[in-house]
Amino acid sequence: MKKLIFGIVCAALMFAFPALAQKKSLVVGMGSADAGKLDPHIASTTPDKGLLSWMFNGLVRVRPGRISPEFIEPDLAESWTSNPAGTEWTFKIRAGVQCHHGYGEFTADDAAYSIKRASNKATSSYSNDFNAVDKVEAIGKSTLKITLKNPVAGFLGYVANVNGGNMVCKKAAEEMGENFSKKPIGTGPFMFAEYQPQQFVKLVANKQYFRGAPLIDDITYRYIPADSSRDLAFQSGELDMIYGKQDQTWVDRTSKLPGVKVVAMEPGELSELYLNVTVKPLDDIRVRQAIAYAIDRKAIVAFKGAGTSREAVSVIPSGYLGTDQKAPLFPYDVAKAKALLAEAGYPNGVTIKTIHTTLTGMQTLIEAVQAQLKKAGINLDIELVEHATFHAQIRKDLSPLVHYQAGRFPVADVYLTQFFDSRSIVNTPTAVTNFSHCNVADEEIRGARVSTDPVKQLALWKTAQEKIAKAVCGVPVYEQLQLWAWKDSLDLGYEVQGSLNLSPPVTEKTRFTK
Amino acid sequence: MTTFLIRRLAFACVTLLAVLTLVFVLVRIVPGDPAQLILGDQASREAIEALRHRLGLDLTLTQQYTVFLLGALRGDWGVSMVSGQPVIGEVLRVLPWTIELTLVSLLLGILLGVPAGVYAAIHRNRFVDYAVRISSLLGLSFPPFVSAIILLLIFAIALPWFPVISARSGSALAWYQSITLPAVSLGLISAAYVTRVTRSAMLEVLSEDYVRTARAKGVPWNVVIWRHALRNALIPIITVVGLYLGILIGNSVLTEIVFSRPGLGKLLIGALNQRDYPMLQGMMVIYTLIVVLVNLLTDLAYGFVDPRVKLK
Repeated sequence: MKKLIFGIVCAALMFAFPALAQKKSLVVGMGSADAGKLDPHIASTTPDKGLLSWMFNGLVRVRPGRISPEFIEPDLAESWTSNPAGTEWTFKIRAGVQCHHGYGEFTADDAAYSIKRASNKATSSYSNDFNAVDKVEAIGKSTLKITLKNPVAGFLGYVANVNGGNMVCKKAAEEMGENFSKKPIGTGPFMFAEYQPQQFVKLVANKQYFRGAPLIDDITYRYIPADSSRDLAFQSGELDMIYGKQDQTWVDRTSKLPGVKVVAMEPGELSELYLNVTVKPLDDIRVRQAIAYAIDRKAIVAFKGAGTSREAVSVIPSGYLGTDQKAPLFPYDVAKAKALLAEAGYPNGVTIKTIHTTLTGMQTLIEAVQAQLKKAGINLDIELVEHATFHAQIRKDLSPLVHYQAGRFPVADVYLTQFFDSRSIVNTPTAVTNFSHCNVADEEIRGARVSTDPVKQLALWKTAQEKIAKAVCGVPVYEQLQLWAWKDSLDLGYEVQGSLNLSPPVTEKTRFTK
Repeated sequence: MTTFLIRRLAFACVTLLAVLTLVFVLVRIVPGDPAQLILGDQASREAIEALRHRLGLDLTLTQQYTVFLLGALRGDWGVSMVSGQPVIGEVLRVLPWTIELTLVSLLLGILLGVPAGVYAAIHRNRFVDYAVRISSLLGLSFPPFVSAIILLLIFAIALPWFPVISARSGSALAWYQSITLPAVSLGLISAAYVTRVTRSAMLEVLSEDYVRTARAKGVPWNVVIWRHALRNALIPIITVVGLYLGILIGNSVLTEIVFSRPGLGKLLIGALNQRDYPMLQGMMVIYTLIVVLVNLLTDLAYGFVDPRVKLK
């Protein structure tokens, strides 16, 4: 009898306190005022890319929680083969995958359409990534064949679940046209449900997800631009996961909160000073070398915080396929810097101008750099402008020294091409982000891109990095990791070391443990 | 009265046109390319040019201005470059949030400020007067984002009475919870303004002959204060409240950001960061319209509280 009463009381309590039941809704706080373009082929900002990655799949994917191409595994394609030259790729598309909101089964036809859409400059920010694509054909319902004009280094990375590799559903994209970003349709574990401008985007679980129905029911992705408000809302329990303020003090403060996990994720964004080799006084290699000698990378990492940053190892970010982890960078040597300046005809010091953004994390770095350069007699004249102005002006070639912080798909080719291939020089028709007007490693960069021999490819990338470092087109400083925090009752289902889409992987396995 | 209205409306149209032109030029003088910002830093030059063409940014300034003015005359303010939604719809959607916040905090300001000002004036140079003057000075000196954070730390973290994300709607309780802290944060500042003006206007009126006469006739002190004195002190108070409404809408930008409320402020910051030209233009027109309208209402209110004021 006692047991019966006890059972009834327990059952009553369970109904009386539904809050005690397992939590099924995830609320995320993101540091931006509003959503941008919610189209995976256009989105390029951290807030948009992160959200979209929970809705879309690629033909292949990098295992959740990892960023390196060695962890590439099947996603919408079950398997794939390529010819020995690496110019013909055949993918077997998984059967029975359903597009969100009843847009039908995902087939090879959708995959072909998606790649064509990502290659089209009118519908994609990433069309450059697909320059080598010659033909995309759907053969039947389940076979996709991609023919390349030339082999592409790390081609699978371009059809992985990031940027242009995200697969959209043809029927939905054609039907909605430009409005696709208002209701993005993919095949991922979560589906778009609602957008309240300036407030949130709501996603709901895709119960038909091919890897199994998600363990949480919905995600509310809130836009909270003020760092302090986001932190307070996290502290008060209104948010389960937040995008951190990108500095060490935030990590120290947030780590002290009870029941909270702070994570510094890969990929690191490389902070590098690009020196325009065509303008005075930077056209003199001795001045550029003086700058390189005057930068104390260890001190910068100590300043930025050892848990959230690390020293740069090469002119491209560390850990990429092809990064020379021991590139010949200049050691810290103020005396040498001064001597070089004197030799170049500036015994009393030299002034160099830079146009710089007011973005907090970047601004503190350039001020630290300014203090270090000062010791060598280099006066860095910083003109602070707001972030959008900064982006416009550096692309017009107005800043002789450009401080830029970036991460790219982790294959050396992408970073080298965008920042050091002479085709990418700013203010030209083929411009991307070559601010230094560097052209010393064109041959190696282009040779490696089409090389089919992995050993030769690695050697070419290594030489390219050596040449660029030697010519001092860029002075790499440090790498900033992605900072996030979430409640420790939230189990993402994967060990999180990093995320190519810059936000923690929320998948079908994500759940609350209480 | 009618001529007054017609003249003021005609004047408002000229102001609006001037603001439109100024805003059109200003947003384009500021460096920054909307197409680049939308497509991100890895986009190819070709993709950016293609988008510039679609957005009409490759037209000459004069062509863009003509397109813009003709559209404005038809009541078409264009579509947001980022969201692709009509500007007017976007603005009208968040406008109620901002108006609600502004009005509630203004009301709070009046309810706190007028009695405090009157009370301080009656007790001139006594302890209460000093206390009111010092606290109103404090209120004026506090930037709204500082008071907002302090309020959040006390009433959302230490005492979990209110949410940090003040953007709830639906039930009356949710509304009350989400409006209170932002409105108090802004209301304290407007209360400080209103207190100071009420106090000085009352001091002036209290030394008038008719106040002394009323007292001499034996009219109760309460009636003298609230009916005779305050009624005559109302004009400067209304002026300040009217002018302050414009400032409040400006201050609401920061308040909306800290309390994560939707509203014109958050929309404005987003549009500025993205260089969303049509959105910025549309919003400036709305801001101008609000200020012109409030000034007009303030003028009309003079005639209402003081029959001697004739609007010509």
